[in-house]
Amino acid sequence: MRTGFVITGLVLAAVGLAANRGLAETKPTLSSLLTAKDKDGKPIITQEERTYFDGLNENLKGLVNEVVQKQIVTRPEHLGMLLSLELRPQKMELLLKNNCALCHSDSEIQTPEDLFSLSPKTAGTPGHMNLKDLVDDVHFQVGLSCAGCHGGDPTADFGHEFVKQWPEKDRTKKRAWVAEFCARCHSDPALMHQFNAALPTDQLAKFKESPHGQLLLVKHDDRAPTCISCHGVHGIRPAKDPQSKVFAQRVPETCGACHSNAQIMTGFTLPDGSALPTTQLAEFKKSVHGRALLERGDLGAPACNDCHGNHAALPPGVASVSRSCSICHSTNASLFDGSKHKQAFNEHNWAECSKCHGNHAIAKTNDSMLSTKSGSLCGDCHRQFASNHPECIETANYFHDTITQMDKARTTFITASEKLAQRGLDVEPIDNQLNELTDALKKSRTYIHSFSHAPFQQAAAPGQEAAKQTRALVEKARQEYKYRQVGLAVSIAWIGLLMLAVYLKLRQLET
Amino acid sequence: MNTAEKRSGLRGWLDRRYQLSPLLDFLQHKEVPLGSHWMGWYYLGGVTMFFFIVQVVTGVLLLMYYQPGEATAYESIRFLTTKVPFGWLIRSVHSWSAHLMIISLVLHMFSTMMLKAYRPPREITWVSGFFLFALTMGFGFSGYLLPWNKLAYFATTVGTNIVASIPLLGDWLLQVLRGGHDVTINTLYRFFAAHVVILPLAFVAIIGLHILLIQRQGMAPPLGARVAPRGMKFFPSFALRDLLLWLACLMVLAALAVFLPYGPGIPGMDWELGEKADPFAPAYPGIKPEWYFLWEYQLLKEFPPHLFGLEGPQVCLFIIGILFAIWAVIPWLDRRAYQDRSSPAFSDLAWAALLFLTYLTLMGWDIGANGAIEGLAAMQKVARVCAWWTLAAGLVVLVVRSLRYQHRWFVFSGAALLQAALHGVFGVSYLLAGTISLGLAILAIAVLNFTRSSPDERRAN
Repeated sequence: MRTGFVITGLVLAAVGLAANRGLAETKPTLSSLLTAKDKDGKPIITQEERTYFDGLNENLKGLVNEVVQKQIVTRPEHLGMLLSLELRPQKMELLLKNNCALCHSDSEIQTPEDLFSLSPKTAGTPGHMNLKDLVDDVHFQVGLSCAGCHGGDPTADFGHEFVKQWPEKDRTKKRAWVAEFCARCHSDPALMHQFNAALPTDQLAKFKESPHGQLLLVKHDDRAPTCISCHGVHGIRPAKDPQSKVFAQRVPETCGACHSNAQIMTGFTLPDGSALPTTQLAEFKKSVHGRALLERGDLGAPACNDCHGNHAALPPGVASVSRSCSICHSTNASLFDGSKHKQAFNEHNWAECSKCHGNHAIAKTNDSMLSTKSGSLCGDCHRQFASNHPECIETANYFHDTITQMDKARTTFITASEKLAQRGLDVEPIDNQLNELTDALKKSRTYIHSFSHAPFQQAAAPGQEAAKQTRALVEKARQEYKYRQVGLAVSIAWIGLLMLAVYLKLRQLET
Repeated sequence: MNTAEKRSGLRGWLDRRYQLSPLLDFLQHKEVPLGSHWMGWYYLGGVTMFFFIVQVVTGVLLLMYYQPGEATAYESIRFLTTKVPFGWLIRSVHSWSAHLMIISLVLHMFSTMMLKAYRPPREITWVSGFFLFALTMGFGFSGYLLPWNKLAYFATTVGTNIVASIPLLGDWLLQVLRGGHDVTINTLYRFFAAHVVILPLAFVAIIGLHILLIQRQGMAPPLGARVAPRGMKFFPSFALRDLLLWLACLMVLAALAVFLPYGPGIPGMDWELGEKADPFAPAYPGIKPEWYFLWEYQLLKEFPPHLFGLEGPQVCLFIIGILFAIWAVIPWLDRRAYQDRSSPAFSDLAWAALLFLTYLTLMGWDIGANGAIEGLAAMQKVARVCAWWTLAAGLVVLVVRSLRYQHRWFVFSGAALLQAALHGVFGVSYLLAGTISLGLAILAIAVLNFTRSSPDERRAN
């Protein structure tokens, strides 16, 4: 009997030990994850990931240990992926306290639809489920993580009851609710003030009045954009962040995603009833504005929203085109407003600037536009609409001749200055005059918009004087160079004579 | 009553006080030995001297306007070249003359080497010439910074950095050279002092010794003739010829200074003032030293970061030091010339040195890069093009030497060409190519010595 108890006891002890061991194997520790190896015996946590972990402060190491202890992170591959993000400490702390993101980044327990991965394309997960984007999201960075939109308590809840607060059916297709949903916070000045006092809170009001908002909220056309169409879903960044979808250089592509798509734009028309074109993006890219913004990286150049607005985006009407342009081209606009053309354009109901320069495809202006020959802008228009004003043709000819002469002089003198500099002459006075000429030329081109003789002449006169001065200076420098050459020739002649004398003396001595 | 006392007039007056007659007698009887070689080589020392005199004269004129200082150095040169009458000419002549002086000095040195003029009793003349060469390099390096423009600033930063590689003393030397950790206006003050005081004093002292030795010992007679078979009177024949050549040099110098006031426009030979130095501006790529430092610059680039447990630049500087030391003591190494016998091995060594310098300098100039100087492919292309140029030049030299001068000793120049071929054409690393070539050269010399030594000598060994 006693023996039976002993045997039973031993068996139970062995079973208990084995069970305990089994438990130890199923519950990983942080050190076991960090040192785990794959089937080929290679460490799963890479050297870079391990170095990053070793560099974490004690608090973060404790948080990593905690998520392993709580079995939220159970696999070395999962831990390695989190470490590979190499987040700065504040961000890492937010991530390690976010159970939603931790669970939804474990590929072992999530379906592809619900999985945050480092590369959605290769992982076959939806594009908006990008873990890198998530941790860079402006909301995530201020502590407004998953629960901010999805609800629940990310530090405690593992259930998903809160998701039911969202539209249950077709919430991704019928997106009218999104604007109101974002506006819960973004239209609340007191709340927004806590994060960024400079942020406006009138986006929803503007959106509701805009064609986009009307289309979405009144006509319930789901082709219309909502907040996430332009700003993204997970990975929303401030507009000043170059990676933001609404950063100035990315705005044309963001707008063009719909406006260049003929399928989406089917059925939309312009005020005159014609079909809404889909060529704006292509035209803009080739335009002077598009090239400045997209090729030269000049952030001062306008993108779509600078003329059309953003949350209240709408096409500028005939009357407001010049106002859009005048935001940057203020002098041209004010000169135009004081010109005779203003009245004429109003009579014809022409959109002011775009009548001559176009809209999306604004090309770099050239002086031949001023020509009065057939096929030129000024000449053709005046022959058609103002043939009874021959004095205008004379003025245009005067503009054209003055500007082309100044431009030609500038080009000639720049070449001359470079050549003289190579010859070692002092070209500083020439270059100073050339700067004067360049400034005056630029000003004269602007003053064309006065369409009047006197103001233009006032702008061009300093340039004409500078051209005269430059010519004189170039001539003086050329004379100086000639003087040097003559001086050299005389010196060489003298040296030559001396050499001849020495040579003759040598011959005399040696014969 | 002796002759001096008998003479009247100024000559007699000077003679009675300073006993000039022996000196004048010496000059009247002084002769330049004529040999089988071209007479022109004898004038190169004089031409170098002429350019040095031009440097002194134009240097003094520049000094009248130049003001060293952070706010004045660049500005004073700018003022000099744009506002001062003929200021542009003075600067242009000074710069051209500097480069021409180095060219004539190098030619003078190699002609001395080829003619074995360093053999006894003229060893010290060679060594003093070697120091003059080193001082001239110092003039070039210190003068480059003085305009305080952007290119000079960064080239000096790169150039002085090399000193830091010297073991133990590197950091200290760098600070001494720069007057601090970085190139600052203190560096300019030091370089200015060196350029206008220290180096000229040293140069004048050594050139005095150099000329004194030449006058005392006379010019070297042709090899194999202790006394020249025939000679040319120094006064007036040689001196007038010297004068003729100096005038020709002056003519060329004036023409170059007027037509190309900023140099020929090739990297390392360009002195356009450009922008003022800005120590806070980032260094831009493609900065190259003056052309006569290009070979060292390129050699440094060919060394890996670490070699034999030392830093690559340290090993490179060590090797450059050895090469210079060998060059300085050649009169004692060349035993055959010491015995007044022809020494084809050392003639070949001079040609090998020229080919070695040519290949490195061409690579330093990025010949064949066609604008693309970054990346391994571009470097390989440059090496290939430069190797072909060097091989072509080497082939011409070999043919001329063997046909015209009946030279038969090509081990060193062959090794230099082999190195260029292995590195440039076959893509072997520069150092490995050098090691293989040097090894083969040593082997060839051993075989040659063995086959040429007499059977008795071999038995004795």
